[in-house]
Amino acid sequence: MTTRRGFLGGLMAAGLTPRASWADVGLPDFVTAGLEPNGQYILAGLSRSGEVLFRHPLPGRGHAASAHPLRPEVIAFARRPGRFADVLDCRTGRQIARITPPEGLHFYGHGCFSEDGSRLFTTENDYENARGVIGIWDSATYRRIGSFSSGDIGPHDILRHPDGYLVVANGGIETHPESGRTPLNLPTMRSSLAYLSFDGALLEHVALPTDLRLNSIRHLALAPDGTVGFAMQWQGDLGDVVPIVGLHRRGTAPRLLAEDDPRLRNLNGYGGSIAFAPDGETVAVSSPRGDRVQIMDVHSAEMTQEHNLADVCGLATAGAGWVATTGLGQVLSLSPEQARPITTGATAWDNHLIPVG
Amino acid sequence: MRLTYSCVISVGLAAVGLSSAHAADDLTQPIVADLIQPAFDTLAHETAALADVAATSCHDATASDTALAEAYGRAFDAWITASIWRFGPTETDSRAFSLSFWPDNRGKIGKTVGALLRSEDTGILAADEFAQFSIAGKGFYALDYLMFDTQAQTLGSASYRCALVGAMTTDIAATATAIDADWSTGFAEQLSPPSARYQSQDEVRQELFKTLTTGLQVDEDLRLGRPLGSFDKPRPRRAEAWRSARSLRHLTLSLEALKPLAQSLAVGAPNLQDKLTRAFDKALRRAKALEDPQFAGVSDPASRFRVEALKQEVADIRALVAAELGPRLGVAAGFNALDGD
Repeated sequence: MTTRRGFLGGLMAAGLTPRASWADVGLPDFVTAGLEPNGQYILAGLSRSGEVLFRHPLPGRGHAASAHPLRPEVIAFARRPGRFADVLDCRTGRQIARITPPEGLHFYGHGCFSEDGSRLFTTENDYENARGVIGIWDSATYRRIGSFSSGDIGPHDILRHPDGYLVVANGGIETHPESGRTPLNLPTMRSSLAYLSFDGALLEHVALPTDLRLNSIRHLALAPDGTVGFAMQWQGDLGDVVPIVGLHRRGTAPRLLAEDDPRLRNLNGYGGSIAFAPDGETVAVSSPRGDRVQIMDVHSAEMTQEHNLADVCGLATAGAGWVATTGLGQVLSLSPEQARPITTGATAWDNHLIPVG
Repeated sequence: MRLTYSCVISVGLAAVGLSSAHAADDLTQPIVADLIQPAFDTLAHETAALADVAATSCHDATASDTALAEAYGRAFDAWITASIWRFGPTETDSRAFSLSFWPDNRGKIGKTVGALLRSEDTGILAADEFAQFSIAGKGFYALDYLMFDTQAQTLGSASYRCALVGAMTTDIAATATAIDADWSTGFAEQLSPPSARYQSQDEVRQELFKTLTTGLQVDEDLRLGRPLGSFDKPRPRRAEAWRSARSLRHLTLSLEALKPLAQSLAVGAPNLQDKLTRAFDKALRRAKALEDPQFAGVSDPASRFRVEALKQEVADIRALVAAELGPRLGVAAGFNALDGD
């Protein structure tokens, strides 16, 4: 039987190596950070059927990753306040580069590429100045070429909008590595969404009403029609009932979903990941603190379903709905109606499941 | 976020498993038969009795309406004891939320019940109408507001108040009966995997362990943490059911309901059972000695520390459960839950 690797090896030996692209067969459908039973943190490539295609050891706990738009490469980011990001060849899991932010900065765990793949943008903390930064990197050499302000404190998730700009979730929380992950600015905290041009011009800045200023906008998703979905993490008192999912289109006020549904309490004030259904009609949010995935209708703003899944967090648009991963090693297929386990292994899957290819 | 699990360091993902002498069925069945089903039987019984008193002996549905208040107290006690079992039948159609809309940080209960009492809307009183009514106007906490809030006691005619209490208690009893019926006509079987709900014994253990950890978290963070607020900003009006002075009672009932669950989950480990028993008893003794039924003392530095000490006792139980019981069951959870990012 000809394995893909053997086949590629043969091509290379024959000097016929085609330019690598996401069209290559056998590439993972997702990547995700994880923790092995022996304590090793990894970035793993997963197939749609839940098979682990590669495991790349990371020097510390990972968080999210981002796929290069053209080349079969992903970059895996350290969990904050980590300072590494590993670029991997998705065909093999082999490391291509490791980047480290300049002194005085750490990564927040997310990043994205420009549409042509020439540049990489990373969310970073300039912690001595309590300033949110977007780092810019040349993705041919993975050298840093500059940075600009994220528009607020605590940039976390970042995505490239097809209309030609960046969307940044500024969580609003000031932290300093010396005090770990402790929020330092709750009395004045205010989270925001920032729309930024690729050279850092602030195009639009969106904050929630004052009574929700402690709701940290942390993760983002993009609907097929360009609507931005955002998931929040409440920094106010435990037991307070607050919206966790919102939708936004530029030039309008954010819409908060399922605000009057008592099941919102099941999320325990914490949205972990967010992803739209392929048709964009519904959006799902995961909460490992509530062991739930909740699905909400983008038109009616009503919650349509919830799935009870222990330590669920990773969530990616796939198939007829979503694929979800858990800290207990499960990979599941979700539809608006049901949750179906695909595989269970010994690796604990971390916060985010990133579709690639 | 604020959740602190200082003692959870390991992410117990390895299947530790129980020894074969203690098959999971031996663990689960007594919990269902001796704890869960009696709790919901009692709830169904006491809520039916409450609805009956509301229909036959209501005078004005205020705090001084003695027969009603007593029946209310017994039914609410039964709910607090049963309320730790938040899975399966309580989650169908948001039943638990319709019995228990708390915490209510946006003051929705006061607005909803106050509006009914002012308008004396009779259109919602029929059982099928009331079943569709806003959850903020239903359940024990709405009843608590109606009967015990100083201002709400002055609103509405006695006959309307009694009619509304009739609708509320009928709805509560119907919900409690539905939960009880689901437990006795099928859900208990789901706990013998593989079933539609649980693939494996691990998942059942996880559910039961989570019942314990969530119950303790509610006690520490919500029942005690919310009224404590901060030293500079205590929040006594956030105490659970403070209007009827049931706050401390609920904490005690909850700990008394969680204690036998913890002991059952530690079956086969007598040393751990002893430790758990001692930790619960210590907290229960301190609760009994507090003599501050609605945690009003949180506002006074001289008495506040006693509520803080009680909270610490609950935190100590949580730490013990996380450090020793979780690993034994092989379900110490929280790789993502503990991360907070």
